[in-house]
Amino acid sequence: MKYYLRRITFYIITLWAAVSLNFLLPRLMPGDPRTIFMEALLRRGGDITPAMEHSVDVIFGAEDSSMWTQYWQYWGNIFKGDLGVSITKFPAPVSDLIFQALPWTICLVGIATIISFILGVTIGAYAGWKRGTAADGIIPFMTLIQSVPYFWLALVFIAVFAVGLGWFPIIGGYSLRDFYAGPEWSWAFVKSVLYHGLLPAITIVVASVGGWVLGMRNMMVSTMSEDYVVTAEAKGLKQSRVFTWYAARNAALPSLSGLGITLGFVVAGSIVMEQVFTYPGVGKLLINAVQNKDYALMQGVFLIITVTVLAANFIMDLIYGLIDPRARANV
Amino acid sequence: MFAPKRWKKALPVAAIALSMGLFTACSSGGSTGATPSDGGAESGSTPEDGPTLVMWAGSQTPLVANFNPYAPTVLHAALGGIYQPLYFYNKAEPTPPVPLVAESVEWAEDGMYLDIHIRPGIEWNDGQPVTTEDIIFSFTNEGVQMDYVDSAEALDDNTVRLNFNTPAYTNEFSLLGATYIVPKHVFGEVDDLVTFANTDNPVGTGPFMLENFTDAAYTAVANPNYWDEGHPAINRVQWLGIDGNASGESMFKTGQMDYATMFIPHPDQLTDTGLGYVKVSSPNPVVIMTCSNADLGCTGAQTDVAFRHAFDVVIDRDEINEKAFYGLSTPASPTFAKPGRDEQWMAEGVPEKNPTTADPEEAKKIMEDGGWTLGADGIYEKDGQRAAVTLVSVEGWGDNNAASELIVAQAKKGGLEVTHQTVTLDQFTDMRLTGEYEMVFSALVGTPISDPYTIYRNCFTTSFTQPVGTSLEPNQTNYARYSNEAVDEAVKAAAMTNDPEEKAAAYATIQENIYADMPYISMFHGGNQTFYNQTEFDGWPTESDLYAFPASWDGISAAYILSQLTYK
Repeated sequence: MKYYLRRITFYIITLWAAVSLNFLLPRLMPGDPRTIFMEALLRRGGDITPAMEHSVDVIFGAEDSSMWTQYWQYWGNIFKGDLGVSITKFPAPVSDLIFQALPWTICLVGIATIISFILGVTIGAYAGWKRGTAADGIIPFMTLIQSVPYFWLALVFIAVFAVGLGWFPIIGGYSLRDFYAGPEWSWAFVKSVLYHGLLPAITIVVASVGGWVLGMRNMMVSTMSEDYVVTAEAKGLKQSRVFTWYAARNAALPSLSGLGITLGFVVAGSIVMEQVFTYPGVGKLLINAVQNKDYALMQGVFLIITVTVLAANFIMDLIYGLIDPRARANV
Repeated sequence: MFAPKRWKKALPVAAIALSMGLFTACSSGGSTGATPSDGGAESGSTPEDGPTLVMWAGSQTPLVANFNPYAPTVLHAALGGIYQPLYFYNKAEPTPPVPLVAESVEWAEDGMYLDIHIRPGIEWNDGQPVTTEDIIFSFTNEGVQMDYVDSAEALDDNTVRLNFNTPAYTNEFSLLGATYIVPKHVFGEVDDLVTFANTDNPVGTGPFMLENFTDAAYTAVANPNYWDEGHPAINRVQWLGIDGNASGESMFKTGQMDYATMFIPHPDQLTDTGLGYVKVSSPNPVVIMTCSNADLGCTGAQTDVAFRHAFDVVIDRDEINEKAFYGLSTPASPTFAKPGRDEQWMAEGVPEKNPTTADPEEAKKIMEDGGWTLGADGIYEKDGQRAAVTLVSVEGWGDNNAASELIVAQAKKGGLEVTHQTVTLDQFTDMRLTGEYEMVFSALVGTPISDPYTIYRNCFTTSFTQPVGTSLEPNQTNYARYSNEAVDEAVKAAAMTNDPEEKAAAYATIQENIYADMPYISMFHGGNQTFYNQTEFDGWPTESDLYAFPASWDGISAAYILSQLTYK
């Protein structure tokens, strides 16, 4: 019991520190949002009338109170579930922006991550099992794919499969030509969403599967030299049984804890994928907020990421404590 | 820009002539002029069936609904598409303004008031008539903030007089071409005009009405009661949110987009697929700003006027345009009026355009005449100071950075040492505001119409600057810290008159002074590339027939073009 109490206290303190940093960091960055907004208007070539300047002042000029007051208001608002209003996406509340983007991110990036994990671990286990044979030859190929920048990979996929062959759509989470009014509950819409998600998902899987393969393959090789695997083989157990229940099962443990952390970060979205495919998601909110010094939006997105990563870690900790008594004893 | 009274007669005639010349291909063939027979009240017409026009105005996803013309985050369709100003101004060529909500206007002889005659029979898209109340509200509400408008009054049912506290000629474009007319029965009921999002069936006079909105795209349909009979002739427009130029290009290639203005290094790739293409130069001049005024605290070699002139002739603008700007820029003028549009205002004695090639020998001569001597290292010196400056550009702005690198090499040939440094956007804005820089690669805000007055006032007069170390006020943009009494006086004189000759005389004084002092090194006008679907839609502006500035992101211009398009 003492173990769990300690872990919980630890997480509460971490959460407080993270949320406070989340408040402080954006304010320590140089530059102010008003001039950046004007600069963006100018660079786009718009006309800046006195009326426009006045309007910008009304929206950007809200923060006059001291840092302390702002800090207490910030905590108060978090507990009320009020994350403020975005200035660059005015007048959308930050919570609306995030909760509209989250389902897309969780579905696409989440599913792609899990597919990539299963695929990577399976290929890696097999390559490790057959080490030194032709099957192991997949490793240099995987290293190659892993080292290709995602951005470039995605652009090539679009140029070949979406523009050249015309198999896939180029932008969006669903067909903007067929659904003017936005998402609706119909089979046609679901099909459109699946069709639009396919190419982005494939690029994510292709770009990330290599890491899982490498990790799993190396773990597999070292596990296979463990005494219990040798014993299992000496006992004359079937090869498939030794592969699945003795070697692969143990070798997958580090990959599994890696998956926990990766899943925690899924909510941060995939910034580059969202940009290249104009796919809805949290990543672009984050990058827009940072570029334009949109404090409310930045804090909102960081808060969601922090809380999810901490929660994922917490759950992993609990599971570890449950399955591994050593974790409990040593703390 | 027009003599008082004369304009009233000239406008409708010009507008009809313009529309006849331009849109003979229109199937409906309606006149766009303000002829009395063109009442507008019963002009209900539904366009024939045809494809939705899909366009990109530069918005990125997620889109947030905002159709309030007073909000900084207003979406493009609201400006010009739903809300219209009194007149449409062509920002590309000096053609006469086209009346929209107004039928005509008359200036007072002394510029102290302006009479606006409302187009007879014009209605809001909810069926209510546009009244003098609406016009008065549109010019006096909190959202427009016109400090030079003293009061507005209705002279009769169709005429509004705006009274000014100073001659307001120079605000003509602001008043007539950039102030949106909004319905008092909607906007008058709102508590805060700036934070109002106006997403629920926005009520305007424009050619389009909002239909659907999502965070990825929104659509607008033709306003069946639009005052201009037979327009718009296309029934639906969709504005997309796209996160990158590359996607825009791909969408064009696959026929999924019909209209966008965006940067494509090799436009042939798109025009080969049958797309229409028109390139126009932006009114904003690209310049190298110098902190020019030692009296206001600037330091460095660039405070010497001989250095600035030598710099001007030693750089090879052709090479910079070819290598850094893909050959898309057009030469700017040292008068800071826009070549190809503002020739009427360019004074004799000042070159109309910048030199295009480098002349290192001339640069050396200028330096030596200015008292500089060539040092042993090939760089000029004067009183122990080397002719060395730091040129700053913003990280990630590839064209500017490439140009700066070229300048470093070019300047050396004339005995000037330029060091290039990249800074973050934040540092860059800070440098310009405080004046703590030597030279920065930047741009000035040009004038949308053919009259360079605002660029002279905002970037060259003493009241628009501050000493180095003091941050400029939000509306001050004299980044060079330039201060010259003759220019200040001439700018004041230009504001007081609407007589083209008097104005031109004042501008000549300004141009001679700023050319002699050269606080900004004038470079180019950047190119805007617009691509459009000419196989399904007809009536686009072309190089030979630029009836509107074609940029898809320029709300009013784009909406005017959309209202003139027809199905092929």
